[in-house]
Amino acid sequence: MIEVRNVEKIHQTGETEVRALQGVSCNFPGQVFSFILGPSGSGKSTLLYLMGALDKPTSGEIFVQNRSLSTLNRTERDTYRREKVGFVFQNFNLLKNLNALENVLAPYLPLGVSTEQKKRAEELLKQVGLGQRITHRPSQLSGGEQQRVAIARALLKRPLLILADEPTGELDTQTGAEIFQCLRDVSDQYKTTVVIVTHDERYIRDTDFILRLRDGKIAE
Amino acid sequence: MFKFAIRNLMSRSLRSFLCLMGLTIAIAGMVGLFSIAGGLEKTVSQTFGKITGIVAMQPGAPIPLFSRIPRSWGEEIGLIPGVAIVNAEIWSRVNMIEGKPVISPPRFLFGTEIPTRLQLKHGIYREAIYAGRFLSLEDQGSLNTIISKQIAEQHQKQLGDTIDVNGQEMTIVGLYETGSILLDVAIILDIEMVRTITRFDPNSVSCFYLEQSGNVKNDELVKNIKNHFKGRELASWQPTSLALASASQSNILKTLLNSIDQSLKGNSNEKLEKSNERQLKNKNHTEVQAATNSPKEIEKESSALDVRSASDWGDRLENFTADLDIFLGLMTGIGVLIAILSIINTMLMSVIERIVDFGILKANGWSNRDVILLITAESSLLGFAGGILGGLLGLLAIYIVNWKFANQVHLYASPGLLLFGVLFSTTLGIVGGLYPAWWTTRMTPIDAIRRG
Ligand SMILES: Nc1ncnc2c1ncn2[C@@H]1O[C@H](COP(=O)(O)OP(=O)(O)O)[C@@H](O)[C@H]1O
Ligand SMILES: [Mg+2]
Repeated sequence: MIEVRNVEKIHQTGETEVRALQGVSCNFPGQVFSFILGPSGSGKSTLLYLMGALDKPTSGEIFVQNRSLSTLNRTERDTYRREKVGFVFQNFNLLKNLNALENVLAPYLPLGVSTEQKKRAEELLKQVGLGQRITHRPSQLSGGEQQRVAIARALLKRPLLILADEPTGELDTQTGAEIFQCLRDVSDQYKTTVVIVTHDERYIRDTDFILRLRDGKIAE
Repeated sequence: MFKFAIRNLMSRSLRSFLCLMGLTIAIAGMVGLFSIAGGLEKTVSQTFGKITGIVAMQPGAPIPLFSRIPRSWGEEIGLIPGVAIVNAEIWSRVNMIEGKPVISPPRFLFGTEIPTRLQLKHGIYREAIYAGRFLSLEDQGSLNTIISKQIAEQHQKQLGDTIDVNGQEMTIVGLYETGSILLDVAIILDIEMVRTITRFDPNSVSCFYLEQSGNVKNDELVKNIKNHFKGRELASWQPTSLALASASQSNILKTLLNSIDQSLKGNSNEKLEKSNERQLKNKNHTEVQAATNSPKEIEKESSALDVRSASDWGDRLENFTADLDIFLGLMTGIGVLIAILSIINTMLMSVIERIVDFGILKANGWSNRDVILLITAESSLLGFAGGILGGLLGLLAIYIVNWKFANQVHLYASPGLLLFGVLFSTTLGIVGGLYPAWWTTRMTPIDAIRRG
């Protein structure tokens, strides 16, 4: 489903170059739970952002459903992110002045939100267990609840792909387990491919696909 | 999207409020300042729109009050084709009413020749009578007077009351109201009575008011009258000749004041010399004339009578308000500059704070354009609200000023000015938001997210 072909990424900050990814090739199977594992600084996030077209590789290519992301123009990349990819970040990343429902609908604000979308957003919030908190602001929600809102937001677009960067990094073990369960449930239900960056290996199951990184390379 | 923009502004209410206040005050200032010019224009059109006739007076005198011309010229003017009626007028400042000095608003004794005044087809004051009657032939030689509603109210006078003007007991036989603050200052009497009260030169009048017969075009009539009095001897009006009328002829101070006055009026030295020349000429009429006047100068020589139609007055004042507009524009410009900097500052700060938010939105498929739209929507909302509030505040200030100083000034903000204020303010908002908006596009979504 996602083919990463010889991807290199060099971060340039002023004079210094950081070679975050040094020729990574792999294949994430579709409709499967995949994990990217590795120590801090090994390039996990960098790879995830490249797959989400949030950034461009220095060299190499990434194919999603056999389409190379590097051939997309700016508008197509925006559309790809809006329609195909759902992001879930470590620090929840909700907009503070919108309530839960509005946060779920945020990607569609510029296009105008239909009543159908609104209904679906409410259903999704119910599904992730926030039926009673639809009009709560992020500040009125716990970390786990905020992350569920982020998951609902990712699901609203019926994404091909959910990319999660340490989604449980700031949550306690109990809540972390719940979030993983939530992600697995929706992945099963919507047949979505899920790629999760984590260094917590407790939630991995035998059927999951695993990619280990070390210093920007695949660790054997 | 706009709801979201409003939400964003509300969540930073104090800052938005301060920025809004800055804009509001700038726009209110603009509306207030330009209402001065607007009020002037309106007063001018209110005043001169009603006057259809022509005024003949001393060249250089700004208004009839300062003008002196020979009384006998009235008959001559009456003979010029196209002139139907000539009405002699004397204007004099009132110093005391009811024993109290008159400073502001000014009041004037207006002496008019009653028989000819009654023959006028249109009489501004006559037509503005709302109580009592206008002066009639029987009022000649009496202290019967007509005053404006303004004056009557100021001194709590009714029709039939007496009013003490410059120590003279006058009987109010009529009340008028023209609505123009430039006209509602006159206390109208028989011309001969004003002459006696003010010890006005028996052979002079202030000016003549002419009504046209309609056979000759206005411009042509004005030209003909001027031509008729070309080369006549009458010194140009000088403000100092009033103040220092009793002082000796060769007063050094007088010459000094003269030259200051001339240079203030923008007259060149050449003209000054020429006017001196003419004064000289007055004294030694016959001898000097041949010697000093080259043929060219005779050609250039101006009329001893200045003739103006109402539209001339209007044009003059319009020129003045146009100059005023430039000045007011500069003043407003400063306020506007501060306002626009305040918008940029507010928006830039709020944008910097929300870099992560924009990263999230972009990660979720918002394009740069969407983000720019959101930010400019916020800033234009600020601009729009500032325009509306500023307009309202300006209007309020204008109403208060007009109500408090009803007799002195009249400010006027036209709907056009208010609409311009709102549009201008909205534009300021959009422009002020563009830079901060552009600033966000330089950052990729991950840069933004990593910052958080
Ligand atoms: N935008 C960036 N600018 C400079 N260096 C970066 C940037 N993003 C990541 N890096 C560097 O690249 C390396 C890999 O980073 P990252 O992909 O975030 O690792 P991980 O997610 O595995 O902790 C790190 O050394 C990090 O400091
Ligand atoms: Mg990381």
